Amino acid sequence: MVRFRIVLAFIRQHKPSYLFGILCMLVASWVQTLFPNLLGGTIDIMGEQGFNAASVRRNILFILLIALATFGFTWLWRTMIIGNARKLECEIRAKLFRHFLLLSPSFYQKKKTGDLIAFAINDISAVRMTFGPATAMSVNSLVLCIVSIFTMISTVDSRLTLLTLIPFPFVIWAMLSIGNQVRKSFLKVQESFAAISGKVNEGIHGVRVLKAYVQEAPTLADFRETSNGMVEASVKMVSVSSILGPVIELCFSLSFGLNLILGGRMVLDGTITVGAFVAFNTYLAMIMAPVLSIGRIVNLFQRGIASMDRLNGVFLSEPEIRDRPHARDISFQGHIAIRNLSFRYKDTAKAALEIQDFTIPAGSTLGIIGLTASGKTTLANLLLRAYDTENDSLLLDGLPITGYTLETLRNGIGLVSQEPFLFSATIRENITSFQLDRSEEEIREAASDSFMLESIEEMTEGLDTLLGERGINLSGGQRQRVAIARALLRDTPVLILDDALSAVDTVTEAHILENLRRRRKGKTTILISHRISAVADADNILVLNDGQVVQTGTHEALLQEGGLYREINDEQEENRHRLLRAR
Amino acid sequence: MKSTMNRKKTDTGSSVRAEKNSGSFGLMEKHPGSSGLMKKNHDSSGHTEKHPVSSVMKDKPTIPQTFGSEVKSHSLRALFRLSRPWMGKFILAVGCILLVNAATLLKPWLLKVVIDDFLIGRKPQNGLYSLVSMAILYIAVSLMGGLFTWLQVNLVNRAGQAIIHNLRCKVFETILHLPLPWLDKNSSGRLITRATNDISEIGEFYTDVTVNMMKDILLIIGIIAAMFTMSIRLSLVSLAVIPVMAVLVWLIKNRIRRNFFGMKHYIGRINGFFAESLSGMQTIQTLRVEEARDKDFTHLNDEYFKTTLTQVRLNSFLKPASDVFQNIAIAMLLAYGIGQVSGEGLPIGILYAFTSYIKQFFGPISDLADKYNSIQSALVSADRVFGLLDEEPILEKPDEGTPMPDAAGRIEFRHVWFSYAEEDWVLKDVSFTVEPGQTAAFVGETGAGKTTIMNLVSGFYLAQKGEVLLDGIPVSTLKKADLRRRVASVFQDVFLFSGTIRDNITLHDDTSDELLDTALRASCADSLVEHLAKGLDEPVTERGSTLSAGQRQLVSFARAIAHDPAVLVMDEATANIDTQTERLIQEALLQVTRNRTTLMIAHRLSTIRHADRIFVMRHGEIVESGNHDSLLKHKGYYLSLLEECEEPVA
Repeated sequence: MVRFRIVLAFIRQHKPSYLFGILCMLVASWVQTLFPNLLGGTIDIMGEQGFNAASVRRNILFILLIALATFGFTWLWRTMIIGNARKLECEIRAKLFRHFLLLSPSFYQKKKTGDLIAFAINDISAVRMTFGPATAMSVNSLVLCIVSIFTMISTVDSRLTLLTLIPFPFVIWAMLSIGNQVRKSFLKVQESFAAISGKVNEGIHGVRVLKAYVQEAPTLADFRETSNGMVEASVKMVSVSSILGPVIELCFSLSFGLNLILGGRMVLDGTITVGAFVAFNTYLAMIMAPVLSIGRIVNLFQRGIASMDRLNGVFLSEPEIRDRPHARDISFQGHIAIRNLSFRYKDTAKAALEIQDFTIPAGSTLGIIGLTASGKTTLANLLLRAYDTENDSLLLDGLPITGYTLETLRNGIGLVSQEPFLFSATIRENITSFQLDRSEEEIREAASDSFMLESIEEMTEGLDTLLGERGINLSGGQRQRVAIARALLRDTPVLILDDALSAVDTVTEAHILENLRRRRKGKTTILISHRISAVADADNILVLNDGQVVQTGTHEALLQEGGLYREINDEQEENRHRLLRAR
Repeated sequence: MKSTMNRKKTDTGSSVRAEKNSGSFGLMEKHPGSSGLMKKNHDSSGHTEKHPVSSVMKDKPTIPQTFGSEVKSHSLRALFRLSRPWMGKFILAVGCILLVNAATLLKPWLLKVVIDDFLIGRKPQNGLYSLVSMAILYIAVSLMGGLFTWLQVNLVNRAGQAIIHNLRCKVFETILHLPLPWLDKNSSGRLITRATNDISEIGEFYTDVTVNMMKDILLIIGIIAAMFTMSIRLSLVSLAVIPVMAVLVWLIKNRIRRNFFGMKHYIGRINGFFAESLSGMQTIQTLRVEEARDKDFTHLNDEYFKTTLTQVRLNSFLKPASDVFQNIAIAMLLAYGIGQVSGEGLPIGILYAFTSYIKQFFGPISDLADKYNSIQSALVSADRVFGLLDEEPILEKPDEGTPMPDAAGRIEFRHVWFSYAEEDWVLKDVSFTVEPGQTAAFVGETGAGKTTIMNLVSGFYLAQKGEVLLDGIPVSTLKKADLRRRVASVFQDVFLFSGTIRDNITLHDDTSDELLDTALRASCADSLVEHLAKGLDEPVTERGSTLSAGQRQLVSFARAIAHDPAVLVMDEATANIDTQTERLIQEALLQVTRNRTTLMIAHRLSTIRHADRIFVMRHGEIVESGNHDSLLKHKGYYLSLLEECEEPVA
């Protein structure tokens, strides 16, 4: 029951409606079972010579009342119980979404987005089916069967009842075993459908290659084979699944046949009345539906349990990065100190970044330069606490960064990465980070300082242009410039630009850097780049290689010193001038 | 059984081909602002689709409109035409249906005979006219019904599967032969839907909808007939209920269907919202916009909840309906019986049979409402699929035209004019010649017309004016298969198929080991293959995601060389590639272009310098040409292009 903790909590919270719903369900089921006996009784009354019309009328009224009550109570319990299941679905989903918002990057590294979405859609829906229709069906079926069988035994005959019920276990067995086979062959059908989709997908996305290398005919032949596989799988599945219906029907008609012979004899013997015979038949028909639903109920419960376990797995994974006890909610200026920093990612042997002792004074600009995989990005990740270091090696205004609440920390540090993520919302929403109360003027200024305003104004809807998923309708450079506008508007005490201008041409880059210098005056800025031009004007430059600090100093000092910095500088200079120097 | 049959639909609608943005480095990126969002950009291999995006608070679901009757009858006729070869099976299936329905109708009648003749009438039983033989007959009728149901379902399924197999292959064949101008203009997501979901929808039309609908209608007719033969008056009484029932069921089902579109709409958006939030989670957390996201999500989730609640309420109306209507009908029959039976004794058997019939009525009526909607959506799908098949006249015919078993590789453009859209010329009077064995590089800004030149050489697009010639023969008159065997293309976006590395190099062709070996060595892919556990037989997953961009590039070089073309047309990739692979690619480029006419869109200085001739393009015209040194000396547009860009640092 621990696995259904979330569900049980929900049920407890909605106790009144569940209790009322179950009550209605019991009443509805019970009322339904009254009908056959009433019908039988009426038939018996009418079978007599000169019967009492008044009592028949009374029975007719009862039948109508039963119809009305069945309808009313069924409607009520379904609205309560199934409606609650829908509510449960939405509440678990909202809870899941909120939980996702808390989890740390290390969680997302291990999981595929598609699987996580499947939790939110398929698994939650399976849980709903278990606690809605499946639970309701089982209660309903149970009541119907127990009351019907009890009435059959008490009003007709226990022997006849048991005899006519003999085929029922066989029905259940057939349903479960054939059902199992059907599921297996259905999986095959799904697989072949997936194979077809895959081939179609590749064929269409790779059509240029197929045409260029004249592969149309063999590709089609290959596809034909896959499609044939689908035909075979479907034919096989249907040939199995179409047995089930007839087998069940045959079993039930065995029951009816037995009743015709044995029950009929009893009527002829005078042991039971014709009305009782008809009532018995009606009961028999009535419990057929619940028996038929057993296979489905079992299936739903199995799926629901499996899904609940998967969901619990997500809910149990705690965010790795969280507020430490006594974390403080105070603002900071942006004086960053690094002491004995040594960090390595999980499952890697080598340290991604090691810095002994380094200080970034508040209000200064630091440039970080290095080749790919030199640890540049790691520093940004650590400052924002995407990952935690083991000891408190990062200090902000003298306090370890873990001493601040995550909210304060992240509110105070801005980051623009090389491939910034934009939301499929309007450009305005993206620049303001959904703070829609920011003034038009501020927004335009930020956009203008990041050299994005002109592009925005060219769009038909300007700032209110909707971006596609991940800003797909912008170029790489435009996406970077929107992200920079976003960072400028947030105006955090610390700002990190992680190769954030890589897709912008050098001329524009220079302009943007100039605007940055102006707007970031007195605030800490960290410029991470592989281009010398981006860091040359920084107050101090950190040269990283392979996770280690190899040089520090200003541009001029570093050039004089030689080493890696000058190497990179010379190479980039040469590249630029080689174009111009013809020989 | 339907529960297990729920087909898992692939969400192809959202598989938009992302425009691989090449504008990061070097010659591709222009000044900020000059590549506006709304401008059309032809000079790129992928096309961005207009993506129907929606702001969370605004977008509401829309209900698809049904088509005009004209369209419907056209599609219906086409669907009928497809089924003609399997008419025999369908007719047999209808025969089965008649027998199955007869069995369904016989069962209540047998009970009636038992009750009225033996139990109440106490008629003497002799021989076959007895209680026991009636019971056995009842079971036998059931057996027969079951047998023919099985037969009918399988007959129809086989025929239906065969029909859609043919249709599916035909659609795929059409897609493969559609000319690129058409394919570039149309969304690939939609095309995928044609060949998958639309076909499945049509498949259901054959296997599930039509025959069952016939069964339902025949059953309704049969029930009415059976009732009238038993008792005309009782039939009239009970039939008073049925129209009310039918109308109510139809009305509710219709509302359920409309509401269902709303549900699908919102669950789709929730899906998308999750997808976006999960992939941007780190940004959400660093920007601290969790609350804003949560608010938007809650809004979506609540809207979804509202539509599902409506669904629950509507369904709750429908579920108990069949029992309720049966009870009402029985009550009416009994009430009628009071007046009728004056000491005579009510024909109880008939009454019992009638209650069974009324219950049997409900199934087909409820089914018909569903089937009607299935037909609607099948027709919509059919309409789309046949619309695609109607493109037949424009399909490429690879085997028509002048054969060209071999080529020297001389490429000539003679006053070529080309436009993707009318009068919007992408190439304006372009003329040049590349001699056999030469390497020509094309440089210029995005949109200058470089990719178009590549497309014209391989005959993917045809020039409106002027001529493109291979060895002096216009490519438009050449057999397309031969042209493309002589001219191998390497695209900027390397596409790898799932399979093995070998499959991706040889594709479906028989390539000799020798040639394969040469190809591997020339393209420097041999060192890559050596490092793989299974070598050439290393599996490649969808789109080659296990290989790096550089490795994929090498495989695509090997692919081109393994087809031993006279002319190589390549669009150089601009992806960021690690230093070692970058060096391999440069080396491979030198080797593969040797002794082969090569036309390339170059982005790297090293590549450009290596070219025999450089064509500098601007606004669809060749503005300068020559080799690197002479062009630099000229101090023209070429120089300014180079100055504007910077080499990416390795």
